Order: sequence, then structure tokens, then C-alpha cells
Amino acid sequence: MTATAKPRTLPMNKRGLNFESIMWIFTRLTALAMYAFVIAGFIGALIMSQKMHSNLADILLWAFFPNANANPLVGTIWITGLAKLMVIAFVLVVSGHGVHGVLEIIDDFFATPFARRWFRNGIITYALVVNVIAIYVIWTS
Amino acid sequence: MGLTRNVSLMTALRYKGQAPFLTYIMHRIGGSALFILFTLYILALAGVGSVHAVFGNWLFQIVFLFFGLFHAINGLRITILDLFTKLIEYQRQAITIEWAIFLLLYAYAAFVIVRNALGG
Repeated sequence: MTATAKPRTLPMNKRGLNFESIMWIFTRLTALAMYAFVIAGFIGALIMSQKMHSNLADILLWAFFPNANANPLVGTIWITGLAKLMVIAFVLVVSGHGVHGVLEIIDDFFATPFARRWFRNGIITYALVVNVIAIYVIWTS
Repeated sequence: MGLTRNVSLMTALRYKGQAPFLTYIMHRIGGSALFILFTLYILALAGVGSVHAVFGNWLFQIVFLFFGLFHAINGLRITILDLFTKLIEYQRQAITIEWAIFLLLYAYAAFVIVRNALGG
């Protein structure tokens, strides 16, 4: 595309509902969901920091690691449970978004069907294993 | 999508796609870096102490903040332009704004990281 050419885009109603369209929407929605989780976690940690007079480093630690030892809410059952559910949802959204992104990159850089298939299987297996470990660790910690 | 590539790496690097191509490549590099970060995050959640040490390293913070912040801001631009298709005509202006926001945020964050690393 030259510097003067107009970028083009295809309206959603002309794209049709197929796997590519669904994954295109999925990638955008998971990105927005991540922003929502980050903002929600950050606001929650800010509320805690008001009571604890803590610094930004603690706020970020609590926002993303609710099971951290320094978190004053560890032991407060309903808030801890909510935080755990939020982090589990965050991890699932991130891994879904990330796996799809990595698969797109792999599809672009590996040309043979054999390589694509095995990298695809490997990444998906890896994501499943990591998600199971993450859910177990977050929920039982 | 074709299954063969007739473009060498050097040719690809010399491609004059300018700002949109640069953001496209950096988004992919950033995404790949964040996938590594995701693995480290899971290990940190699991309580692997050495990973916490890695997260605390200022060099690690500077490098991954660069990729993570760029990926997040660029992703927001992509999402906004995709959801509001009339704005796609202003893609280059959006990229300029994106770079301005990114550089401001990154410069401040990098300054804080280096200041803390130096014990300030």
C-alpha cells in the first residue's frame, strides 16, 4: 500500500459468519475483556490501598496476584473468592487470546501443513495444561 | 493463504510499509513476548520463587514493559478502528497518536523503574 492509498475494510455483514469471522470477533472481545479485568483489578487494589496506605507496587501485586502473602484480604472469604474467580477468568481470557495470536503467527511463518499441525497441537496442548495448573493453583492457594 | 513463501527475511525487513507495517510487526513481537510472560505469570502464581526474582529485575521490567505496553495500546487502536470502521481512513493519524501516548507512558514508566533500580 502506498502512503496515499486509502485503507479498506469489509463491513461485518459482507464477511459472513464463518470460523475466521468468529475468531476475529473473539480476539477483539477478549482484548476488551482484558482491559476490563485489568481496570477492575486495579480499582479493587486501589480501594484496598486506601485502607492499607500502600504504594503502587503493592497495588499492582494485589491486582494480579490476589494470593500474594502481603494481600490483606487473604482470608476474607467472599472477597478472596471473587478475586480468585476474576483472576481465573483473566487467565482464561489471556490464554484464549494468546493462543489464537500465536497460532496466527505460526501459520504465517510455517508453510508446511505438517509443521502447522504439530505446532498447533503443541500450543493448544500447552495452553490446556497451563490453564489446568493455573486454575488449580489459584483456587487452592 | 498460500503455503509457499518467496520473500526472504532481508527482503521482508526492507519492506517499506512504514508505520502500519512497523506496528504490525511490533504487535506480533509483543504478543510473542507476552506469551512468554504469561508462562512466567502462571509460574509466579504457583509460587516459584525464582520467577518472582525475574519479575523484580529492572532489565526484565524495562524490556517486557516496552512490549506489553505497546501491545496493549496498539491492540486498543486496532480494536477501536475495527469496531468503528469509518475511522479506518484515519489509520495513520491514529498510529501517530498511539506512538505519542506510548512514548509518554513508557518514558515515565522506564524512568521510575531505573530510578528504583538505582535506589532512588
